[in-house]
Amino acid sequence: MMPTVVEVQELTKRYGSFTAVDRVSFEVGRGEIFGYLGANGAGKSTTIKMLCGLAAPTSGRASVAGADIAREPERVKRSIGYMSQRFSLYLDLTVEENLRFFAGAYGLGGARRDRRVQAALELAGLTDRRGTLTSALPGGVRQRLALGSALLHEPPIVFLDEPTAGVDPEARRGFWRVIRDLASQGTTVFVTTHHLDEAEHCGRVGLMVDGKLVALDTPGGLKATHVPGALYAVELADSRKMRHELANWPGVVEVEPFGPRLHVRVQGELEDDGRLEHELKHHGHNDAVVSRVEPTLEDVFLALVGTGRQSKGAA
Amino acid sequence: MMPRPLVRIAAMANKEMRHILRDPQMLAFALVMPVGLLLLFGVAVSFDIEHIPMVVVDQDHSQSSRKLADSFTVSNTFNVVAHRGDPDDAEPLFRSGAARVALVIPRGYEASVLHGPEAVAQLLIDGADNTSASVALGYANAVALSSSQRAFVELLGDATPPLEARPRTFFNPELRSAVFLVPGLMVMVLVMVAVMLTALTVAREYERGSMEQLFATPVGRLEIILGKLGPYFAIGQVQVLMVLTLGVWVFDVPMRGSVALVFLVASVFLFAMLMQGLFISVVTRNQMLAGQIAAVSTFLPALLLSGFIFPVESMPWVLQVIARILPARYLVRALRAVMLRGADFETVLPDIGAMFLFFVFLLVVATKRFKRTVA
Ligand SMILES: Nc1ncnc2c1ncn2[C@@H]1O[C@H](COP(=O)(O)OP(=O)(O)OP(=O)(O)O)[C@@H](O)[C@H]1O
Ligand SMILES: [Mg+2]
Repeated sequence: MMPTVVEVQELTKRYGSFTAVDRVSFEVGRGEIFGYLGANGAGKSTTIKMLCGLAAPTSGRASVAGADIAREPERVKRSIGYMSQRFSLYLDLTVEENLRFFAGAYGLGGARRDRRVQAALELAGLTDRRGTLTSALPGGVRQRLALGSALLHEPPIVFLDEPTAGVDPEARRGFWRVIRDLASQGTTVFVTTHHLDEAEHCGRVGLMVDGKLVALDTPGGLKATHVPGALYAVELADSRKMRHELANWPGVVEVEPFGPRLHVRVQGELEDDGRLEHELKHHGHNDAVVSRVEPTLEDVFLALVGTGRQSKGAA
Repeated sequence: MMPRPLVRIAAMANKEMRHILRDPQMLAFALVMPVGLLLLFGVAVSFDIEHIPMVVVDQDHSQSSRKLADSFTVSNTFNVVAHRGDPDDAEPLFRSGAARVALVIPRGYEASVLHGPEAVAQLLIDGADNTSASVALGYANAVALSSSQRAFVELLGDATPPLEARPRTFFNPELRSAVFLVPGLMVMVLVMVAVMLTALTVAREYERGSMEQLFATPVGRLEIILGKLGPYFAIGQVQVLMVLTLGVWVFDVPMRGSVALVFLVASVFLFAMLMQGLFISVVTRNQMLAGQIAAVSTFLPALLLSGFIFPVESMPWVLQVIARILPARYLVRALRAVMLRGADFETVLPDIGAMFLFFVFLLVVATKRFKRTVA
C-alpha cells in the first residue's frame, strides 16, 4: 500500500446556509493520480482550496503531506504546487519573468533557481521562447507553462484545478503525458476535470455531485459497480421509436441515445455475445447493427446523476 | 545566499516593477502627473493676490508706525484706500466692502518698539473672503517677523475657517507664494500618486485571481506588502526629485537646509502614503472602489488639512485632530522648515516621528487585515 499523503475526513465548507462541500472523506496515496470529477458548482474548487490552505473548512479535518490544513496552512503551502482554475500566470510578464518570479516566491535563489527555471522551460517546451510575453502564448502552451511553474520547487503534491479547460485535444494529450510522468516519479497529482475521458488516466476517480462525494474508485471499478452488465451500441433505422420499445424489454437496464445510435445496457441472458442482435432480428429489425462497447466514465456519470447531462465540457 | 524571506520580497518587488514598466498609462500617471500638477498649481493658481483694499488706523503717528504701515504697502499686495483715527470708524468700510483689511497701530507703539517688552499692532481681516484673508495673514506674519514684532490679527465677520492670530515663521522676504507652495505641492503630488498607485495594486491581484495563487506559495502577507512597497518607493523618489528640481529652478524656492534631509523627510512620508494605499487596497479588494477611496482620502486632506493653504491652527478642533493624525501636515511643516529656514535633523525629528508612526500603524493593521481574510 502506498503511504497516504492526503487524508480527508468529513471535510465541509458552508457559505452561509449553502453547503459547497458536504462531509467529504477520502485518502490519496503517494504517486497517485487522483481525479476529481463533477459538474459546475459541484464543489471541486472549494475542496482544492481547502486542501491548499486557501480557505478554512467549516468542519471536518484534512491533512496534506502530514500538515493539518486548518492549523498549519503555512506548512501545507511549502509542500504543494497549485494551479488555480482562474489564474495561472501574469499575462503582462514574459515566460521567463513569470518563472523567475514564482521561483522566488517559493524561496528559490541562486543556482537552484536557474536550474529549476530551465527545467520548467523544458517541460513547457519554451526554451527558445523565454522572452515571449505570456499573453501571446496559445492556451495549451500557457497551461503547460503554468504546470511547470507550479512544479518549480519540486513539491511532493500538486493540485491542478481544471488544467485542461479550454485546451485543444492534442495539447490535452501532451499535458496528460506530463502528468503521468510526474506520477511515475513519485509526485502525487490531484486533478479536477470536466473532461470525463481524461479521468481514464487517473488511478482513482472521485465523483462530486452537489458537494457530496457520491462515488470513489478506479475507473474500472466505477464502471463495474455503476454500469454493470454489458453495453452495446445499436444502429437502427428507427432508433427513436425503438428507444422506448427496447427500454421495456426484459433484461434491458438502460437505453441512451448516443449520436445516431443507441447505447443499450443489458443484464442476464442478453449479455451473451450476439444475443441482443439475434433478438432484434427476431423482432423484425433486420437492419440492426450491434457492436459491443466498453462503458466509459460518461456512462458512470449518467448512471449516477440520471439523465440530463450536467457536465459542461464532456466530450 | 540570501535568506528566503528576502528572496521572496525581492521576487515580489522585481515582478511589481515589471508590471509598472509594462504599463505606459501607469508610468505616465506616475511621472507626468507630478510635473503637470506642479506647473498647474505653481503658475495658473497663483496665490499672489494683489491690491487688497486696506485701511490704516494710525493712533501713534510716529516714525515706527509709519514704517510699519509702509512695510505693507511696498509691494502691490495692499492698497491703502483710507486713513482713520479710530478703529470703530474702520468698520463701516468693511461692511461696504471698501476695505478688507485694517491695520491698527495703537498709541504707544513706538515706545514699545524702542523699549520693549513687545510692540503690538493689530490687523483686522475680513474673514468672509478666505483667499484675501489667508494672503493677508501670511503677509502680516511675514512683515511682523521681518521687523521682529508680534502681530495680533483679528477677524471680522463670519469666517470659514476662522482665522486666528498666531505669529508664524515664514522666511519669505519677497513674499512670494510659490515659495510656500512648493513644499505644499510636494504633498499634493506624493499623496495623490503614491496612494493611488498602491491602492490599485493589491486590489488588482485580487481581481485577476493572482492573489489566490500567491497565497498558495510560501510568500507571507508582510512579504507581499513590503515587496510591493519597494518599486513604488523608487518611483516616489523620482517624483520628489522632479518636484524639488522644478521648485528650485523654475520657482526659485530656496534650499537652505540639507537636500539629504529633504529626501529623508519625503521618504518617510512616502512610506506612510504608500502604506495608506496598500491598506485601502487590502480592505476593498476592488480596484474601482480603492481608486475612489484613495482619491477622496488623499486629495482633500492634503489640500485642506496639511497647512499647505489654510493654517491648521485655525480650524475646528475635529479637523485639527484629523490633521494631527495625517502625515501631510508634518511633511509640509518639515519641508518648509528645512527648505526655507535651513532647519536641521533634530528640529524636524518630531515630524519624521509622527509620519513614521502613521506608517507603522497602517503596516500592522493592513497585515492583520490581510491575514484574517484569506480567500
Ligand atoms: N466564496 C464563495 N461564496 C459563496 N459561494 C461560493 C463561494 N465560492 C464558491 N461558492 C459556491 O460553491 C459552489 C461550489 O463551487 P466550486 O467553485 O467549488 O465548484 P466547482 O466544482 O469548482 O465548479 P466549476 O466546475 O464551475 O469550477 C458553487 O455553487 C459556488 O457558487
Ligand atoms: Mg472549479
